[in-house]
Amino acid sequence: MKIARIKAIAKKEIFHVVRDPFTLALALLLPVMMVTIFGLAIEFNVQNIKIAVYDGDQTQSSRKLIDTLASSGYFLIDSFPTQFAAIHQVDAESDRAALMIEPEFEHHLWSDRGARAQLVLDGADNSTVGSVVGYFTAMQDLATHKILGSPITTPVEVKTRFLFNPELNSRWFVVPGLLVVVVGILSILLTSLTVAREYENGSMELLLSTPVEPIEIILGKLAPYVGLGLSAVVFVYIIARVFFHVPFLGSHFTLILGCVLFLSTYLAQGLLISVTTRKQQVAMQIAMMSGLLPSILLSGFIFAIESMPLFFRGLTAALPARWFMVICRDTFLKGSSLYALRYSFLALLLICTVMVVIASKKFKRDVEP
Amino acid sequence: MNHQNLPHPQGVGIAVQDLKKRLGPNQALDGVTLNFQAGLMHGLIGPEGAGKTTLLRTLLQLLKPNSGTILYEDEGKATPFTDLRPSIAYMPQQQSLYADLSIGEHLEFFKELYSIPEAEYQQKSEELLKITRLDKFIDRPAGNLSGGMYKKLGLMCSLLRSPRVLLLDEPTNGVDPISRREFWDLLYRLADQKILIIIATAYLDEAERCAQVHLIESGRTLAEGEPRELLKLEGVPNFDALFIARSKRKEGPHATHT
Repeated sequence: MKIARIKAIAKKEIFHVVRDPFTLALALLLPVMMVTIFGLAIEFNVQNIKIAVYDGDQTQSSRKLIDTLASSGYFLIDSFPTQFAAIHQVDAESDRAALMIEPEFEHHLWSDRGARAQLVLDGADNSTVGSVVGYFTAMQDLATHKILGSPITTPVEVKTRFLFNPELNSRWFVVPGLLVVVVGILSILLTSLTVAREYENGSMELLLSTPVEPIEIILGKLAPYVGLGLSAVVFVYIIARVFFHVPFLGSHFTLILGCVLFLSTYLAQGLLISVTTRKQQVAMQIAMMSGLLPSILLSGFIFAIESMPLFFRGLTAALPARWFMVICRDTFLKGSSLYALRYSFLALLLICTVMVVIASKKFKRDVEP
Repeated sequence: MNHQNLPHPQGVGIAVQDLKKRLGPNQALDGVTLNFQAGLMHGLIGPEGAGKTTLLRTLLQLLKPNSGTILYEDEGKATPFTDLRPSIAYMPQQQSLYADLSIGEHLEFFKELYSIPEAEYQQKSEELLKITRLDKFIDRPAGNLSGGMYKKLGLMCSLLRSPRVLLLDEPTNGVDPISRREFWDLLYRLADQKILIIIATAYLDEAERCAQVHLIESGRTLAEGEPRELLKLEGVPNFDALFIARSKRKEGPHATHT
C-alpha cells in the first residue's frame, strides 16, 4: 500500500467533487436545506392553534374558560354564535378544533354534576390532535383553578418536570438529530456514486490495469468524503449552537468519535452499494432506500423507536443511524459520557466493521459483468 | 516456427492455451490458442465481437477465464502475472479517461499511480507531449479533446513509465487518417525498444504494419503468422481477401448442415 497512490486518488476525487455541479450542490446545499426544513419549517411545538368557540352560556365562568385558553398563547379564538357554525369550521378545516360550552355551564358548575364543555377535533389531522388535547387538558386544570378561585383540590398532585429539556423545546430535540440525517445522506449518497461512476465511465478498467491496489482506491476515494462529512458536522453543530441555542453538555471528543464511526459505517455502506451495483442510477436509488429513509423514519428522529411494532424495533438495531441518534442527542442534551453510551458505540463499531469487511471483499480487481 | 526452438527471447512473452470465456449468453472466447512472442508487435485482427477485447481483458486478469491457461514469460522464465503487472500498460477501447481532468492532470495522476520518479517523469512527459503535439493543450480537459487527441492522451498515459508490455484495444478506432498515421509513428518508435505490443484492431490494413498477426473470429484463432507470409501462403493480395477466404472455409461445412 502506497500513501502517494492514495493521495493521487484522493486528489483526483476532489477535482471531481469540485468540478461536478451536482455533487457540489449536494454537498453544500443539502445541509443548508435540511437544517432549514427540519430546524425552522417543521414545528413539533404546536402554537397558535385556531379554535372555534361556541359560548352558549355567556356567563362569567364560561368567559373565564375562554380567556384562559386565549391567554395561554397556544390557542387563537374564533367565536361563533351557533354550535353548527363552530363545528362547520372544523369541517371546513378552517379551525383545528371547536369548543362547545353548554348553555347551563355556570349553573352546572355549582351543582354536583359538574360543568361540561365539549371539544370537537378533526381526527383526520393526526399530527396536531395529540398536542391540542395535551394543551387543552393543561388549560382545563388552569381554568378550573381560575373559575373556582381556589387551588385544585386533588388530594394527590402529580407534577411533571422534564429533565434535560425543561421547556420541551422540540428544536433542542430535532437539531442534534439533524446531524444524523445530514451526515447520513451526504456520505451514503456521494460514495454510492463514486465507484459506480468509474465503472460506468470505463475508467475503472484502466485504473485496475495499473499497479494501484483496490484498498488504495477505496481509501483514496473515501478520504475526501470523510472531510466533506466532517465539515457538514461542524456546519450543523454551529447552526445548532448559534442559531437554535441548543445546549451542548457532553464532551466534544465523544461526539467526534461517534461522528467518525458513523461516517465510516455509512461510507462503507455507500461503497458496498456502488461496488455491487456498478450503475449510478441504481446505486443512488438503493442509497436512498437503505440510507436516507431509515435515518429519517427508523432512527428515532421523528418516530419514537419504543412505540414501533416489534419487527421494526428489532430492525432498528441493525441501523447505524439509530445508534448515532442516541449518541448525538445524549452528548448534546444530557452530557452523557463515553461509558454511558458504550452500547451505542459498540453497536456502531460492530456494524461498521461488518460493512467495511463486506465492501472490501466485494470490491474485486476485475470487470466481470 | 516453434517458440521453444528460438534462442532466449528478450523481454516478456505470453502464451495462451485453449482459453475459454463465457460472458452471459455469449461464448466470447471459444478455445483460443495464441503465442505472443517477446519483443514483437502483434496484431489481433478480427471483426466486431470476435473476442479481441475479452482476450485482452483476460490477459490483464480483469476477467477470469472459464478454462485454459495463460503463461507469462520474462526472459524465457515463467513469471506470475502479479510480478509483471507494473510493467504492463493497457489502453482500453472505450473512453476511460476522466472528462473533467486536463491533459496535465492526467499525466500527474498516472505518474503517481505508476510511482515514476520526478526526474524521469519530467523528461518523459515533455518528450511525449512534443511527439504527440499535445503540449499546447496541456490545460484542456479530456472531455473537450478531439477523438484523435483523446486516443493520443490515452497512449501517453500508458507510455509514461516505459512499459515492457503494451496492450492496445482498437486504439485508432474513430480517429481521422492523419491522426492515425501519427499514432502509428508513435507505435513504431516503441517497436524499436523491444517491448511486446499487442494491438487489437478491426482495420485490416493495420494488420500489415505488425510483425505478427493473429486472425480471430468467434473466439477462435483463424490463422496466425507473419503478415506477408500469411498472404503468400493463402495466395491472396490483402487481409480483406484473406479474411473472407478463411471465414468462408470455416463456415463451409456448417452451411451444408443447415
